[in-house]
Amino acid sequence: MAPTENDIAIVGFAQTAPDRRTQLTEADLVLHATRAVIADVGLDKSEIGFTVSGSCDYLSGQAFSFVQNTDAYGMVPAINESHVEMDGAWALYEAYVRLLQGDIDVAMAVGVGKNSNSDPSTLYTIEFDPYYLTPLGTDTWSLAALQARALLDSGKATERDFADVVVRNRANAKSNPYAQVKGDYSADELLAADYVRNPLRRHDLPPTTDQAAAIILARGKRAYDFCDRPAWITGIDHRIEAHLPTVRKDITTSVSTRLAAQGAGVGKGPIEVAEVHAPFGFQELIVTESLGLDASTEINPSGGALATHSVMVAGLIRMGEAANQIIKNGKNRTLAHATSGPCLQQNLVCVLEGEQ
Amino acid sequence: MADTVQEFVFNLTFPFSRTLGSTLSTFASALAQGQIIGVRTGGRVIAPPLEYDPETAADAGTDWVRVGPKGTVSSWTWIPEPTNLHPLDHAFGFAFITLDGADTPMIHAVDAGSESAMSAGMRVEAKFKAPADCVGRIDDIIAFVPAADPSPSEGAGEPYEAPAENDITEMDAFCDLTYIDNASPTTTMWAKALMEGRLIGQKCPQCARTIVGPRGMCSVCAIELDESHVIEVPDRGVVSNFTVVTPVQYHGQTETEPFVRCSIMLDGADAVIAQQEILDIPATDVRVGMRVACVWAPANERSVDDIDNRSRGSGGDAILGWRLTGEPDEPAENYLDRMM
Repeated sequence: MAPTENDIAIVGFAQTAPDRRTQLTEADLVLHATRAVIADVGLDKSEIGFTVSGSCDYLSGQAFSFVQNTDAYGMVPAINESHVEMDGAWALYEAYVRLLQGDIDVAMAVGVGKNSNSDPSTLYTIEFDPYYLTPLGTDTWSLAALQARALLDSGKATERDFADVVVRNRANAKSNPYAQVKGDYSADELLAADYVRNPLRRHDLPPTTDQAAAIILARGKRAYDFCDRPAWITGIDHRIEAHLPTVRKDITTSVSTRLAAQGAGVGKGPIEVAEVHAPFGFQELIVTESLGLDASTEINPSGGALATHSVMVAGLIRMGEAANQIIKNGKNRTLAHATSGPCLQQNLVCVLEGEQ
Repeated sequence: MADTVQEFVFNLTFPFSRTLGSTLSTFASALAQGQIIGVRTGGRVIAPPLEYDPETAADAGTDWVRVGPKGTVSSWTWIPEPTNLHPLDHAFGFAFITLDGADTPMIHAVDAGSESAMSAGMRVEAKFKAPADCVGRIDDIIAFVPAADPSPSEGAGEPYEAPAENDITEMDAFCDLTYIDNASPTTTMWAKALMEGRLIGQKCPQCARTIVGPRGMCSVCAIELDESHVIEVPDRGVVSNFTVVTPVQYHGQTETEPFVRCSIMLDGADAVIAQQEILDIPATDVRVGMRVACVWAPANERSVDDIDNRSRGSGGDAILGWRLTGEPDEPAENYLDRMM
């Protein structure tokens, strides 16, 4: 592609070392991630025209935590700032839209989550339908398990397929310095474990990670000030489905992923590498099928969300990893996917391309 | 203080009432009478009912349909160790259950005894609480249990005539979450100083501002600050702002009379410590510019058990409050252009 002044690129990405239990606060994590990315691209913070973060008060259990987190930006004089109660991938989407207005050249998107303060088997009960699900303590693991069981019963996958996804991601994660869970495993040994939520075993569930990540976006030729080979966003779209998973017609596929992929133009050319946000291993099967990817695409060389899963950060990391494939690894066309909500309710798809 | 990292357990609990709107009020009022209903919209029966057709976003209307109490499991999972928020205190299943007369499943608990009893296609029926205990909430149904008689539910799919006025229009809910945070290095530093009767800040090497209490960073320059940047600050300063709080007796409020909370700019500091208490004078007499000094708890009575990462600048039980020094008021220009 030949970028114009209306094109937006990812030019820098940094993440903190993932930690099962950090002693730092979310504001500390944001400082470390943003300092790192700003230093990486050689930027002065005063050059950033817009800063937007994704985080969730309920994760750390602190009201208005995102306000304290802004200490890490250095907001004197006042900056142009925003926040989404979503994964940082959606913060990046907002930054992208903001840059399209054309009056600023540089924006920063941040994701942060201190996940270790809370219990994932109880916390997300308040994320779901407050009338029909929350009073039952319906938890995120159980909802994923109901989706997984439906996938098994549809005949599209087996429990061994689920385990194979985990084996591959953990093996890929060995070469990722930012992976928390990695190593060589066999499907047989994984399948010998007890169920946590039948048919899901511990390895099918996302790890708990405390982490922050930050991405710098730049518009037009300004991108080359920071990066020799910017990762141009040639398509980005996100779609959402009904809040109550039971009113979706087929929970073994992801209509929102398919529509977002169409909107982002995934099918306009081959995808060399896809970074897919599948918190539960089996969901990678649903997402890759719904994206329309085949065996020619390498999936999650980073180890994906099974290697680290900081809620509010894991989607943004997919964007950073897919961008680095272009910026640092010579790839030409990659894809990043992020998800949010129960049973892959909401999905964001981004296509990145390098100039050839 | 011990060398181990201090952890803080806190419970986020609060009650609240949700208004239900017409569709959910109709569902709740029927449920409290032991009748589960759905709504017919777009050629299918959605149960439990929604206000809108999820396919088209059209108003789902009021074509109510009786569904259940029996249904068929289409997907299931098993919870070997229930949490405190789950509806049963022993191992149970969650399932997608398509009630007789409905086209979409609902999610509910299945009290099946053992995992091996669960399967797609199993017939289950709703087990309700005693009528007097039913309040129109989804957990009026304790759980579904394997159906003694798998034959179709009587009356399922027939129209349901809603009363002109619904009995139930609100739902009580309760949030109950437990968090375990750990003290950050900066919080530990602050708490340790309080126990020693000292107030500390961090001086930024770049902009020379002194930030109190320490934040582990300069929030102007966005650079990390550590123990090497710590300086002691005087335990005297000026009231730079205040508010008088008239307590509303919400869940957890222990105050009953109006009370004052102040921001205090310590001498030489560039950031206020907030939420401070002024001793000995009525709340209505507090004014901006007053000179105050810290009143420390006796060393053997000091406690920082309440100092966590959320209480930046708080004195915990090491500081009793602040007392007027009797000095003239501080001119405003001496504490302008500082930080929250």
